[in-house]
Amino acid sequence: MIIRSFLARFFSTLVTLFGVAVVVFVLVRIAPGNPIAMMLPPGATEEDVARLRALYGFDKTLIEQFFVWLGNVIYGDFGTSITMRLPVSELVLQRLPATLELSIMALVIALVLGGSLAVFGARFRGRAQEVGVDISTGAALSVPDFLWGLLLILAFGVAWPVLHISGRVDPHMDVDLTTNFYFFEGLLLGDFALVSSVLSHMLMPALALGLPLAAMIAQLLKQSLKEQLDQDYVNLARVRGHGETHVILSEALRNAALPTLTLIGVQFAFLIGGTVIVERLFAYEGLGNMAIDAVINRDLPLIQGIVLLFAVLFIAINLTVDLTYSLLNPKLRHD
Amino acid sequence: MTQNVFTLEISGLNVSSHSGTRVLDNISLQVEPGEVRALVGESGAGKSMIGRAVLGTLPPILDKSSGHIILNGKDLSLLSERKRREWVAHNAALIPQDPLSALNPVRRVGAQIITPLVRIHSWSKREAEDRCLSLLDQVKIRDPKRVLKSYPHELSGGMRQRILIAAAFANRPPLIVADEPTTALDVTVQKEILKIVRLLQEDTGTAVLFVTHDMGVVAQVSQTLTVLFGGRVLEDSKTHDVFTRDASHPYTQALIRSTPDYHSAGGKFVPVPDNVIATLHAQMRERLS
Repeated sequence: MIIRSFLARFFSTLVTLFGVAVVVFVLVRIAPGNPIAMMLPPGATEEDVARLRALYGFDKTLIEQFFVWLGNVIYGDFGTSITMRLPVSELVLQRLPATLELSIMALVIALVLGGSLAVFGARFRGRAQEVGVDISTGAALSVPDFLWGLLLILAFGVAWPVLHISGRVDPHMDVDLTTNFYFFEGLLLGDFALVSSVLSHMLMPALALGLPLAAMIAQLLKQSLKEQLDQDYVNLARVRGHGETHVILSEALRNAALPTLTLIGVQFAFLIGGTVIVERLFAYEGLGNMAIDAVINRDLPLIQGIVLLFAVLFIAINLTVDLTYSLLNPKLRHD
Repeated sequence: MTQNVFTLEISGLNVSSHSGTRVLDNISLQVEPGEVRALVGESGAGKSMIGRAVLGTLPPILDKSSGHIILNGKDLSLLSERKRREWVAHNAALIPQDPLSALNPVRRVGAQIITPLVRIHSWSKREAEDRCLSLLDQVKIRDPKRVLKSYPHELSGGMRQRILIAAAFANRPPLIVADEPTTALDVTVQKEILKIVRLLQEDTGTAVLFVTHDMGVVAQVSQTLTVLFGGRVLEDSKTHDVFTRDASHPYTQALIRSTPDYHSAGGKFVPVPDNVIATLHAQMRERLS
């Protein structure tokens, strides 16, 4: 049973990835712009252009190109970046930790902030405090992530300059780590100078990405909490002497979290998409920033590699959400 | 000090919504130790609200504005919020209306009924588990050990209601509020559940405030009854008297006649006559003006 559902999942994942690969491959080639022309100095001969085209395989038909590329991808070869002259897999894996750290930090901010606001609003439902939560989450939602980025730069970068507005780490700092997970590896090694430098760079972009999601979580979770708080099992807990805060946290929260979890899964995927623009805004050396450069330079192999990696991330997030869901909801567990 | 100490004594209880609508109006009633008192009335009469006021689970938009609720010798309105919760937890329990929503879906049944005994009544875990197992046996649940390890969705509605009844009686509280415990169940299960409530009640000597709209149920379980209309007490008497002699209030008489009874009414349903309702509404308007 478990093996069968795992296999079904695995094959549907492969189909999804193949679809993504086809779409990306075709799209970046239909889009106007010629990467070869950008690489050659002015005055290059027709012959030079043809040689370079042959080198990158652009002289073959689209279908041929696709299967050559796909064949290489299966063996872990994503091609060579046209602009950076380095293997795409190396470039992408080097940037991935930065984006993952940023997204996870944003998610943690959204969960903590949104969760507490939801519990607070549900605890004081029908009173001024709940109205306060509604107004602040409504405001946070109506501001998109990049605008949050600009507002945060104005507040903590200009008016009260306590945080760094660009980069991932202090450029003077000697970073000597085995992985590119500066924050997590720094934490593990107990290098607090590094961790605090990374945090002071990461906090603003993470907030910009996390605030709208926090508002969404707060609104949905508060609503589901309020529905749960009218249920008889909650009343029974009250009769057994539990105070309202305890009733919310230990009885209602796990039930209310289920619909919110679905939302978090979908929105976290959007959040990773949001890193593209927010990383650009804060000159943060992640995948998103690299994606923009790749698109501007028509670096086809790099674009394909990044998009495929984003697709893998989306699928991994969905899988995690489904697993967590069945962990929280006994109705979905099979023996 | 009077000789008769009530398990529950409500006097002059008023409950209104924030907008000023009066839900309970000057309610007074007493429940003696071991007594089963039925609270009857149509929907909106306020019968459930009395139970919720006693247990402190009124919806947030309602407020107990005045009056006294004395539970097992302590006036709840004189206690601090925390003390009141503790006192209620020790001296009262609830059999809820809807067994399907009265067990937390994400927690095992055992944890839900054993933990409160350990936490509130400081029983040992062993003691609590033994008591629950024997009670589940008493409410005719087969294989109680397996049931304790189950999640609520794995059990039927009737089973869940029997578990909830067992849980309410577990620590032999002086008072149990039964809030329409059979309404959500089908008729054959209803009968079984009423039998179990009566059995456990006689066994433990617990007083029960039995909220219902069903005069048939009233006749089966209660010794006394309080009839409510529009948040006020219309009649307060012995159940036996109401069913054998003519009830003193015309509304109560009409309620009894409206109970579907295949044999006496020739299969016809007799609703409460409009003029009785109209008189009551007129009285209410007079009072409010």
